[in-house]
Amino acid sequence: MNHWSEERLDDDPEDSLVRPYTITRGRTLPERGDLTLITVVSTIDAEFGTANVRGLQPEHRMILEQCRIPAAVAEIAAGLNLPVAVAKILIGDLIALGRVAARPPLALAAGQKPDIRLLQAVRDGLLRL
Amino acid sequence: MGYSDSDGGPGGPRGLAAPTAVKILIAGGFGVGKTTMVGAVSEVEPLRTEEYLTAASVGVDDIGLVEEKVTTTVALDFGRITIGSALVVYLFGTPGQERFWFMWDDLVHGALGAVVLADTRRLEASFGSIDFFESRGTPFVVGVNSFDGRQDRTEAEVRDALDLDPRVPILMGDLRERAVGRDILLALVDVLMAEQQPVPTR
Repeated sequence: MNHWSEERLDDDPEDSLVRPYTITRGRTLPERGDLTLITVVSTIDAEFGTANVRGLQPEHRMILEQCRIPAAVAEIAAGLNLPVAVAKILIGDLIALGRVAARPPLALAAGQKPDIRLLQAVRDGLLRL
Repeated sequence: MGYSDSDGGPGGPRGLAAPTAVKILIAGGFGVGKTTMVGAVSEVEPLRTEEYLTAASVGVDDIGLVEEKVTTTVALDFGRITIGSALVVYLFGTPGQERFWFMWDDLVHGALGAVVLADTRRLEASFGSIDFFESRGTPFVVGVNSFDGRQDRTEAEVRDALDLDPRVPILMGDLRERAVGRDILLALVDVLMAEQQPVPTR
């Protein structure tokens, strides 16, 4: 992927020869430790789509595009073909810029029981499979 | 909070409001059918992503015991079941290298529960996953993959060999069948719901 070219939006991440932490400009830890594999990310003001992308890297724009339909961090990482930790750093950038919102998963600490209505909803959903 | 609205069933339209996400882990030894099960019940082709895990390990070299960091790449296959516009279930097939996924905190924390898959020809491959979930108190059920309808062990034999608590359900079937995967997940949800009752109902 040509990171020096801001114009190319359609590069295939499968072709990326760029090392992952080059994309994050050397950062290896997300600034936000609260993103999980199933934190759901959605693009704010999706009507504007990827307008006003100055200063964003191609991967940032891909996230904005993908999250017009809310997607979990794991899905974003898979879509970018990047390790989860790298995706989290890029998502953190977009949160800091106010471009995406993150919805944390239900907090289920060890030993904590899930809500019975949630379980009933999951059960009903499985029966429709 | 309503979870069970009817718009947006599997493959249906999703609203732009972010849904609540929950996850279920699909574990078991290498080659027992984790990705097969994820693929059979997921509304999308299983996706794959990876993570770098770093763990301290103690190695021996010529200056004696040295603690060093070992980084390994662990892959994850996952799928999704959209329950409605407000709720999505993610199914995470844990990577084959069990020694490593146990250390993936983000993966193992906060799961509703787990499915441990087993192959009757090498049940011991699933011991590690069972020990792990038992020690964490994570509710789980066991699914035995009967490849091509072959069932060479009874449920009682499997239960005995795995030294399973009698309350842990064992389901047997061909994991390529969506209905088999669905029934395994339903059994897990039933375990979770039973735990909500002051008096066990099953």
